[in-house]
Amino acid sequence: MPVDHHDRSGDDLLQQVVDELRQPVRLDATVDATALERIRRMGPPADSRWRFRLVAGLAAAALAAGLLLAVFLPPREALSGLSTARAVRLRLVAPASSRVVVVGDFNNWDPGATPLRSTGRQGVWTVELRLKPGRYHYTYLVDGREWVRDPAEPPAPESDFGAPTSVLTVS
Amino acid sequence: MTPGYNELDLPVTLTRPLSQDQRSRGLPMMSDSDAALVARTLDGDLDAYAKLMARYRDTLGAYALHMLGTREDAQEAVQDSFVRAYRALRGCRQPERFGGWLFRIVVNRCRTMQRRLKRNRRFAESLPEGVPANGDAVASLEWREEIARALGRLRPHYREAFLLRYVNGLDYEEMAGLTGANQAALRMRVKRASDQLRELLRDVHAS
Amino acid sequence: MRRCRWLVLPILLAFSPALLQAQDRRLSDRLDPATASSVQQLVDSARAAGLPTEPLVQKALEGSTMGASGDRIRAAVAGLFSQLGRAREALGNSASEAELTAGAGALRAGLPPASLAELHRLRYHQSLAVPIAVLADLVAEGMPREQATREVFELAREGRPDDEFVALRRRVQNQKRGEPGTTEPLQRPAAAPAADPPSAAR
Repeated sequence: MPVDHHDRSGDDLLQQVVDELRQPVRLDATVDATALERIRRMGPPADSRWRFRLVAGLAAAALAAGLLLAVFLPPREALSGLSTARAVRLRLVAPASSRVVVVGDFNNWDPGATPLRSTGRQGVWTVELRLKPGRYHYTYLVDGREWVRDPAEPPAPESDFGAPTSVLTVS
Repeated sequence: MTPGYNELDLPVTLTRPLSQDQRSRGLPMMSDSDAALVARTLDGDLDAYAKLMARYRDTLGAYALHMLGTREDAQEAVQDSFVRAYRALRGCRQPERFGGWLFRIVVNRCRTMQRRLKRNRRFAESLPEGVPANGDAVASLEWREEIARALGRLRPHYREAFLLRYVNGLDYEEMAGLTGANQAALRMRVKRASDQLRELLRDVHAS
Repeated sequence: MRRCRWLVLPILLAFSPALLQAQDRRLSDRLDPATASSVQQLVDSARAAGLPTEPLVQKALEGSTMGASGDRIRAAVAGLFSQLGRAREALGNSASEAELTAGAGALRAGLPPASLAELHRLRYHQSLAVPIAVLADLVAEGMPREQATREVFELAREGRPDDEFVALRRRVQNQKRGEPGTTEPLQRPAAAPAADPPSAAR
């Protein structure tokens, strides 16, 4: 028998948790009524043999499609979360510059992905992004020559490669 | 039963057998009436299916609520499960075990919905009903709220394993059949869930 | 037969789902093969350990864009992997990816793991991602660590929502420099070795 190092008070606690979770739960009876309404519109249950063949066929097609997608599709993380994205506006004052781009965690640090637009006023460049809540490292590249961090946001302590970067927290 | 410890150092008293009423709120027992109601449903009697739904709604709802965190999501999960079960009813090979078959559908539905839900969503937006255990309604409400929050902090497959094992009273073989995971993995998930719940709730409970 | 047994494990590993995981195309497109392979191994290890993988990929891509050498990229990704693991030790197994990523950043900023653990204790029923990020940002902005910790802990203890943590950080930023950066002139980079502008992909 294992040596007893167990926390007895912790077990009493867990038992209380379980007892609480076993308390009755009453869902709204309209759950049944709504389900029944949907069922009435469906018609009778399908024959399971045909359903099996149909499902098997669809599953085979889905597997083939999935294998193709696994080769060509970007990582799951790149696709998720768009529905919770927030609009974020970045701005940099860079007079006498002809091109400003932003690179960061939100665009795979790709200098070709996210150029800023010159507002034509006092050297202000701007871009609007849609970002899901999180923490992003980023920096600006001015005229393809100079890395400039965003003075409006805190410097990132995680600058591992010598260029100044900032960190943006989207809540 | 003499208190002791199983291989994962968990006291077996924590898994003391459920009462008949509690068991019926876990994995439902075999029932001839279930088989008869399934047969009548397949003959076109939707009132029979309505009886099956009424019989299992609250049991399934409890699991869905603890798994998903809100009454709204729990109702959606149960409702969807009822519709899916009806659609697949001819494939229910043991209609006398309709409840267990339906429960599997709910477990899978909850897994699908869990993946869809936001990772950091606020849990415990609604609370399970129940008679306050100690008669102090406010304290019980807060305690249930803390439990719900702590449950929400667990990883979904830890939460699922904990609920199936300790709340629904399934054994590991039944859990393996439901989830597709092996028994060793399920035991570890249950242990980790238990450890984390203790850690999360210890301070709250002491106060 | 014994010889066959030795073959089983390599064969199983060869067909294991982890190895069937395709290399992230972004790594193979942007890094040399050796670096891409090393980074991918770290990514796979993180995935197996239940740690976030995207921050590791982004760190490698950052290095690529900055023209860093393969060794420097590998070291940076390995360092981040280690910080993510330490963040989970401090925040517990139930920590979300956002919390772990913020936690790694806080550790990098010099905050001790005990601060993360205490924040976890104070605010266990809510997400910690924003409070941790704000704590790290305050320190990065130059606020003394003890003061930053005290202010953030106080908000956490009072159960304040995320917005108030962000507002705290904004106040500190505004106090430090006046108006936000819209009207500030272009700041020259600090006198640190500047990375090269983006070179060719490999």
